[in-house]
Amino acid sequence: MALISPENLLRRPQPTQKCTLGCPVLDRCLGGGIPCNSMTELVAESASGKTQFCLQLALSAQLPPSRGGLSASSLYLHTEFPFPFRRLHQLRRAFCDRHSIGREFDPSDNVFVHAVHSADQLLDEMRKIESFLSERKPRFPVRVIVIDSIAALFRSEFDNTPFDLKRRSSLFFKISGKLKSLVDRFNVAVVVTNQVVDFMGDNGGMNGLRIGNLKYLYSSERRVCPALGLAWANCVNSRLFLSRNEEVIREENGSANAGNGDTLRRQTRRRIHVLFAPHLPESSTEFVIRREGVFGVDR
Amino acid sequence: MEVGRLPISASQRGKLIRAGYTTLSSLSSLSPSDLARGAQTAWDMLHEEQLLRRITTSCADLDNILGGGINCKEVTEIGGVPGIGKTQLGIQLAVNVQIPVDLGGLGGKAVYIDTEGSFMVERALQIAEASVLDMVEYNDLLRKEHRKCQVNLKPNDLLESIYYFRICSYTEQMAVISYLDKFISAHKDVKIVIVDSVTFHFRQDFEDLALRTRLLSGMALKLMNLAKTYNLAVVIFNQVTTKYMEGSFQLALALGDSWSHSCTNRVILYWNGDDRYAFIDKSPSLRSASAPFSVTGKGIRNSASNHKRIKLM
Repeated sequence: MALISPENLLRRPQPTQKCTLGCPVLDRCLGGGIPCNSMTELVAESASGKTQFCLQLALSAQLPPSRGGLSASSLYLHTEFPFPFRRLHQLRRAFCDRHSIGREFDPSDNVFVHAVHSADQLLDEMRKIESFLSERKPRFPVRVIVIDSIAALFRSEFDNTPFDLKRRSSLFFKISGKLKSLVDRFNVAVVVTNQVVDFMGDNGGMNGLRIGNLKYLYSSERRVCPALGLAWANCVNSRLFLSRNEEVIREENGSANAGNGDTLRRQTRRRIHVLFAPHLPESSTEFVIRREGVFGVDR
Repeated sequence: MEVGRLPISASQRGKLIRAGYTTLSSLSSLSPSDLARGAQTAWDMLHEEQLLRRITTSCADLDNILGGGINCKEVTEIGGVPGIGKTQLGIQLAVNVQIPVDLGGLGGKAVYIDTEGSFMVERALQIAEASVLDMVEYNDLLRKEHRKCQVNLKPNDLLESIYYFRICSYTEQMAVISYLDKFISAHKDVKIVIVDSVTFHFRQDFEDLALRTRLLSGMALKLMNLAKTYNLAVVIFNQVTTKYMEGSFQLALALGDSWSHSCTNRVILYWNGDDRYAFIDKSPSLRSASAPFSVTGKGIRNSASNHKRIKLM
């Protein structure tokens, strides 16, 4: 039997190693980036930028630690189809330009994409994932795992009965437990994306239960809740929320008759919020999605 | 600095305040003979309580409903939703157990069993730094003759005195908890054992549910014995789940039925509007009460919105 001994906390990297998101404003909001040895969840409705963040992270991970990266490759497990190859290539081009990377190095080579169709398949493949992580690569070991999205794995095969919900719940803990074990062994940063569901009114359910720094989550001008409930919320270390809301801006045309001839402009405002994280205070920042990628805005 | 914010046990704080000293400056402006004269009792009381020390949470209100702080020889279960501050409280207690005896603490060490990977070293360091500053400030305001110790503690010392175990499965958890008896008999200065969280690895499917119940009960018993044998505090953090009871969904501690008989006290952390609250759910000696607290850059502290800081006992 192996000797059990406590870890010397002073030997741990101080602060915990983080992977940059490729933007200093976003990094600042997150205390440096996505932490290693931890599971971070990105919650948002569709088309809010979850996948953008993940793709950008998979590229930034390849930067050297001096630039906030991990000199690592990423394992991207996608559960929704098809995988956005075109967007990855677009981001890759911008990434290479920004970091003056020549043609002999293709960052896409270090993003390993794998399709997952069900929760059971994911569990079955944990062993394969483990051996993939332990493969000794001469450069760019795998140190980032993305699961985009976890919600899609659980949507169809579970009914809304107490029995199925319990069964689903057990799977959450099994998957999360195995992932965290990998994470600890290989010092990996895991990012998991999750969807939202509409808040239907708290008629005896726990849908409206407050979890984290925000009392209410709003996106597309309606109240939402992260999918997969309280059970899944217990499985992640940090939870980030991406919101998008339309803002109507009335621009006066400067004429004497106010209200006449004013133009109304619609603008999408996106924000990333820290809902909970063991190392972060409540914080949020606005961000934009451009062709070159996702960028925080200092306003 | 207010006496209410000192890193000393709430029972000692209460005694100082009853004697009329609400701020440290009121203490420091007195000469030893002043203190010794009519108010001799206050000073004596400060150095009297060797036996009944509790571990402060750094939040006076929370300490108050706990009867002064977390008690040794007992198992305290603390549950709450994700993000409410369980790990924060765990780190705060792991630091506060180390407050030197001469500053009103236990001068002990901590065992921290991390089952979820929520423990972040930089956060522990941040809390340790704030704690050292509080201790130095308190010590500086004591008159020279009454300063029993120099605060030589540095934040890194506090981190080094936390025996940290990261476990990744229920078998590892059982193994470490079984091993603790041997470990603590070799490290008798451990005065708190923290398990964060105790149920995570047991919430997946067990083919044999009876086995799970046996394992959990066995673990609970071992923890209770540790507390009693070595006169230390055991704090187990738990997750919450939803239970359909009496026609509606309610929050309940996960797997709570398996060891409700082994925990002396049960505390629930919850949101009330925009404030964090703690509620004594079960205790043989404490009244059911709730108190606000906050999570700040320095760690667990009094709630900012509560102006009536000290509740006289």
